[in-house]
This record gives sequence, C-alpha cells and structure tokens, in this order.
Amino acid sequence: MALTAIDIYKLLPKTNCKECGQPTCLAFAMQIAAGKASIELCPPASEEAKEKLSAAAAPPLPKVTIGTGEREVVLGDETVLFRHEKTFYHPTAIAVSIRDDGSDEEFASRLAAIRRLSFERVGQRIAVDLVALRCASGEAGRYARAAAAAFEATGLPLVLFAPAGPLAAAVEAVAPSRPLLVPTPEDLLPAAKLAAERKLPLWVRAGGIEGLSVALADARAAGAVSLVADPSPETPRDAVSLATDLRRLAILGRVRDLAYPSAFDLGGGFPDPFLAAALLVAKYGSLLVLDSADPADLLPLLTLRQNLFTDPQRPIQVEAGVYAIGTPSESSPVLITTNFSLTYFTVRGDSEAAKVPAYLLIADVDGMSVLTAWAAGKFTGESISKMLAECGIGEKVSHRTLILPGMVARLSGRIEELSGWRVLVGPQESSALPSYLRRLPPAAFLPVHG
Amino acid sequence: MSVTLPIPVFPGRILEVTLPAGPGGTPVTVGGQNALPLLPEGEHPNAPAVGMEVPTGTLELPAALAAAIGPFAGDPVAMARKCAGDWGARFLFLSLAGCHPDGGGLSVSEGAAVVREVLSATPAPVIIGGCGDEEVDALLFPAVAEAAGRPVFLSYAEEKNHRLVAGAALAYGHGVVAWSPIDINMAKQMNLLLADLGFPPDRVLIDPLTGGLGYGMEYTFTIVERIRIAGLSGDAALARPILCHLGDAWKAREATDASEEAWGDVGARGPRWEETTGLACLGAGADLLVCRHPSSVARLAGAAWR
Ligand code: B12
Ligand code: SF4
Repeated sequence: MALTAIDIYKLLPKTNCKECGQPTCLAFAMQIAAGKASIELCPPASEEAKEKLSAAAAPPLPKVTIGTGEREVVLGDETVLFRHEKTFYHPTAIAVSIRDDGSDEEFASRLAAIRRLSFERVGQRIAVDLVALRCASGEAGRYARAAAAAFEATGLPLVLFAPAGPLAAAVEAVAPSRPLLVPTPEDLLPAAKLAAERKLPLWVRAGGIEGLSVALADARAAGAVSLVADPSPETPRDAVSLATDLRRLAILGRVRDLAYPSAFDLGGGFPDPFLAAALLVAKYGSLLVLDSADPADLLPLLTLRQNLFTDPQRPIQVEAGVYAIGTPSESSPVLITTNFSLTYFTVRGDSEAAKVPAYLLIADVDGMSVLTAWAAGKFTGESISKMLAECGIGEKVSHRTLILPGMVARLSGRIEELSGWRVLVGPQESSALPSYLRRLPPAAFLPVHG
Repeated sequence: MSVTLPIPVFPGRILEVTLPAGPGGTPVTVGGQNALPLLPEGEHPNAPAVGMEVPTGTLELPAALAAAIGPFAGDPVAMARKCAGDWGARFLFLSLAGCHPDGGGLSVSEGAAVVREVLSATPAPVIIGGCGDEEVDALLFPAVAEAAGRPVFLSYAEEKNHRLVAGAALAYGHGVVAWSPIDINMAKQMNLLLADLGFPPDRVLIDPLTGGLGYGMEYTFTIVERIRIAGLSGDAALARPILCHLGDAWKAREATDASEEAWGDVGARGPRWEETTGLACLGAGADLLVCRHPSSVARLAGAAWR
C-alpha cells in the first residue's frame, strides 16, 4: 500500500529543523506523500526511514525491457488497476512466433509475414513488437543461426524459446540485441545464470502463483534480476484470472517477490488463443506470444491495444491549423473538421482519395469528434467564424466558401451570418467526400468581388 | 511459502434482471453478481448472455454480413427463428430501424405488426429497438408496447423520452433499456428518473452506448468499468446489468473494406472486429451483448463464463 502523509511523518525526526526547505516535518511528509519530494532532502532522517520510503517510492510493478534502441519493448511499470484511475503506460507487448526447423524459404517468408504486421492508424504505427523463436530442431548451431537471421531480417527484439544448450548458443549470436530468454522449465537454473552473466531478461514459468513464487525465488538466487512471470494457464479463463492475480499482488498487495510483468505463451495447443489474447490485452497481460501471423487477427488486437492504452484524460489529437491536401490553389475548396486524430485522419484520407486539391481547416476542440465537439459547445458558429477570420485562410484563397461536415449542418446559418462566408453542407460521412468534391461545380469557388 | 491474494470484496450486488420468454422458451436472467467480471472470486449466479439483432428496413450489409445473414435478414420472422435456433442467440434485439424515414419508412402500425409476428414466431426473449427518430419513436414505443403479446424490453428510454417509454412499458408489463451517451452521471440519472416514475428496478437494463473497436471503444470500456465498480461499491442506481450493442463495430472501415489486402481477408476481419469489441465489453463488465454476425454469438459465448 502507498504510505499516507501520517505514516511518513511517523518515520521522520519530527524536529522541524527546516533543512528540507519545508517549515515542518509534517509539511515535508505531505510533499513526499504527494510525490513532490524525496526523503533524500531530509539529511537527519534515519537509515530505516530512508530505506522504507525509497522502497515505497519505487513503482509497484517494476519495469522490464527487451531489445535496445528504437525497438526497445518496455513491460510493466504500471501503477493502477483501471485505466480511469490514471492511465496505463506500457501497452501489452505482442510477439509472433516462428520455428527454427523449416526450410530456408519457409523461414524467410514467415519473417516477411511478421514484418508486414505493422499498420498505421490515426497517425500512429501499431505493430507486432517481437519475434518469438521456437527451438524445434533441438540443434544449437541451427537455432543460433536462425536467431541471428530473424533479428537481421526484422530488427525486432527476440523472445528465445529453447532448452539451455541452444539458448546459450543463440545468446552468443544475438546478446547485444537484448533478447528475452525462455528456457524449458527444467533448464531454469542454467538459463538464470546465463541471464545474470549477460544481464538479459528471463521468462520464468511455473504452475500457478504458488509455483511462480518458488521459481522466481530460484531465478533470483541464481542472480537473474530482470524477470517476467508466466503462471502457465491452460485455458483463457485461467489466463485472465492469473494475470489479474499477479497485477493485484503487485499493485494492491505490494508483494515485491511476485511483482513482475506477466507473460503468456498462447501458441502450441493453447485453446482459443485469439480470445485469450484480446482478454489479456484488456486485463493485465504484459507480453503475449501468438502463433498466428494473420493480419485479420493482428489488426483487431493491435487496435484494441491502441484504444485501451491511450490516456483517458487526453484523446489522441493533432495540431489545429490550415492543412493542405495536395497542392491547392486560390480557387481550391476549403473544408473544416476537428482536431481529434481519429476524425482528422479519416477526413484527410477521404479527401486525399478525392484527388481534388483542397485546404482542410482543423479546429481546436480539445481532441473531440465533430458531433462530440458540437454537443460540448466547442464546435460552434462562433468558434468556426473566429477560426475563419484568424487562421489566415482568407489570404490563401480568393473565394469565401466553406464546406461543413454534414452532421453539423445546423451551424451553417450562424456561420454565414457571423463570418460572411458562404457555407456548403458536405456529406455526413467523409467517405462520401470523393464523389461530393468531384461533383462540385468550379463556380462554387470563384473569387468574391468587393 | 503460501501466497495470499489481495481480492477486493464489494459491499454491493448487481440487481438480477430477467428477460421473459414466451411459452416453451428459455428466459434470460443476468446480474446477481457481487464481483468483477471474468474472475473466479465472489458469486456470479448468471453468465453474460449473447443475443443477436434482427434487422428491419433497407439494409446495406457489408459483404461478411451479407454472406452470413443475407438470405434471412430481409425477413424478420425467418431471421428471428434462425438467430434463436441454429445460431444460438439467447435473446433477440428486434431493431425497428425500418420505421426511420430514411431507413425504409415502415409505418408505425407496420412496425407493430412486425413485432407481433416475430413474437409469435419464436418464444425467445426479445428486446425491441426504436428507430432513432425522436418523433417516430414517440409513436412507435406506445404502439409496440400495446402490440407485444408478451413482456419484452423496450430500447431505449433516454432523458427526453423516458416518461413516454416508461409509461408505455408500465402499462403493459414490459421492461426498458435506459440509454445514455457514454456518461456515468447520465446513466445514473436515467435510473433515478425511472425510479421517480415508480418503474420497477428489476426491469431496467443500462445501455451505455457502445463505440466500435477503433472508434470510441475505449470510452465505452471505461464507462462500463466505472458503472460496474460504482454498482458493486454500493451505488444502487448503477447496480444494474449492462447491455452493449456491438453494431458500431460494423461501421469501422477496418471491418468492411475489402480493398486493403494487407489487413487480411475481410470475410474473417469483419467478424473479428465485432468479436473483439464484444470481448472488451465482457472484460469491462457487460452482461448482455447484441451481435450482428452469427459467428460472434458462438465466439463470445466462449468468453461469457460465470
Ligand atoms: C466517443 C464519443 C464520445 C467521447 C469523446 C470522443 C472524442 N474524443 O471526441 C466522450 C465519451 C468523451 C463523449 C462525450 C460526449 N458526447 Co459523445 N460520442 C462519442 C461517439 C460514441 C463516437 C464519436 C466518434 O469518435 N466518432 C468518430 C469520428 C471520426 O466521427 P466524426 O468526428 O463525426 O467524423 C465523421 C463525420 O462527422 C464526417 N466528417 C468529419 N469531418 C468532416 C468534414 C467534412 C468537410 C465532411 C464533409 C465530413 C466530415 O466524417 C467522419 C467519418 O464518418 C458518438 C456516437 C457515435 N457512434 O458517433 C457520441 C456522440 C457524438 N456524443 C454525444 C454526446 C451528446 C456527448 C456528450 C455531450 C454527452 C456526455 N457524455 O456528456 C459529451 C460531450 C463532451 C463533453 N461535454 O465533454 C452525441 C451527440 C448528439 C448529437 N446528435 O449531436 C453522440 C452522437 C452520441 C449520441 N447518439 O447521443 N462522446
Ligand atoms: S529536514 Fe527532516 S527533520 Fe528537518 S524539518 Fe525537514 S523533514 Fe523535519
């Protein structure tokens, strides 16, 4: 549990010496409780107080990283159980598997398929994060070559599923890329030693939470530090329940010995991996391994992840302003929409598909969709007229005609009245923009005469 | 070493609500739980229920839906039988969108006749959805309430029309689905308003508005979680079963656009889009799901555990 100001106050010297810059020890305790100060600022504090308070300040679920550089994957480091309590920081990482025993061609084409599991949505790249390499050949040399080839071809960090021998060989080949080591359960100790020596992250599996608490202790005793915990569920239902247990132990229980990001292998014979994966994205899975490389599976999962891991306090938004579609001229159409990323990228995509150069005005409505912004009173005749006057569009075009989203047709009168611009009501859905724009007579955008 | 799990214990319990069935049919009871969804803790006397929409009016079905339900979708009676039979829907959501002036323009009495026919064709529990046009719905709900020969639920009662809808439902012994646009305070307000009218609380479902995957789903997810936690924590006005209609999933370009080959086969992608939306709703705490694709019924039933 997080310490309260009173708990903290009890640990302080209570001399009100002011060395910390606060008038009293109690004021200082309140600063710490609010996360605005650290115990280091109180020189007279006892060792005990320092130890307790720095432990309490550490994140309840520690961070584990796999890979390096731009492709580094961060797991854990979460502070709440529900996104509305603050936000979730580190999206469930998704690995797609490949085996080392196929032909070179099969291997290459599977890697190519994994590389294609990368999509653009609302201005963000959503993609599979890691490649999980399964040792099916049992041969150390072959496995190590496959690891090097998989990393080389995709640039994605690796999750190495193998017995101790092949695992050690693969580590020789790709250690600097910081792979995650996944030994068979019998080989936990040698793999933990290897992870300790090479400072690599280690996947620890055991049956259930009790089993994990033993296996994690063994891995720590062997010197491994960076761990992910796999409670080895047999069904999607067990998986959700065990992932929840682990997350609650970390966040509610502050049980350090079990506070690790969770990892699940949903490949092999795991029943209904898609269902399990979707539920684990919503409920506390930190890392998932899937055998499917079908985009029809991965696109919905990655979209779900993108949805749930956005900050609930702040919709994904773009900057307001005047955007050019193609190379517009002074007689090109002027359209307006809002700065919610989903709205902007949808409208932008549809406008581009029209192949009619145009100006797109993006109104600042704190990242809300057209109707939401209208309902919230942020996309109004007044705000739109103000934007028309101030954004500089009047100098870019010689006409005074604005195309309004069909859903807010009711704003046209007010805009015409306040701004002097003429309003054309566009279609309700921007997907109808291509045919709409192509049908507009050029006379719609003739210059205005004094 | 033995590990003690920190399991939250809630003082509240979600009210049990039953969607009645006709003679020989199986009623659907949801609610009754005192714990969060999908977890083995606490009591969950009823599993979430997965139902299907029976459409009316002019339909422009995406290819994946046309292939699955096309032959039946134009005929509400045939569709209702198929949904409740082969496709395993535990309840039906009969949408009267066909009564919308832009959606087929069925008259109010034609809408009521469809209700009568569907109710006599199947004993499955039925929720009847309005057409979304305020003026038409103001005539439609009372007509439907009268036409329905057995108790059903009327969807939707919102702030503006709740007196009318609740009044019609009370007069003929129906339940209502209380709708609000992704807003916990309005969801609560709706239940208080219905209580003020003396509407029996065990005949009310909450519809929080379900955004499709990629198009507002996260707002729904969070509102459903918040409603559920508030209900379990003792807020009686929110301790009600939650219904999520997954229809918005089919508005997503990703669910229907066949031209993007890099997104995978659209025949598989569309149902996956609906299924994923539904799984997120179940994870958040939904008690009733309404699907459009038959495969979603089977798939989501696989996660609708107690
Ligand atoms: C998600 C959502 C929210 C989220 C906010 C999301 C956001 N960042 O905007 C939250 C939960 C915060 C929210 C809040 C509210 N919401 Co809201 N919300 C929605 C929901 C479910 C989806 C909106 C969305 O993302 N749409 C997708 C984007 C891409 O759509 P879009 O911006 O409109 O763009 C499309 C078209 O307008 C058009 N288009 C856009 N630009 C242009 C430009 C041109 C030139 C053309 C031609 C076309 C065009 O093409 C786009 C693609 O089709 C809708 C219902 C629905 N299913 O639509 C309700 C909805 C918009 N909300 C509504 C309401 C009432 C509200 C609230 C007032 C209620 C409340 N909860 O208190 C508040 C207002 C906000 C506030 N006071 O803070 C109502 C609006 C009622 C109305 N008919 O006007 C809706 C329609 C729900 C309903 N049926 O009642 N909402
Ligand atoms: S420095 Fe420490 S002892 Fe001195 S006032 Fe601040 S908290 Fe109290």
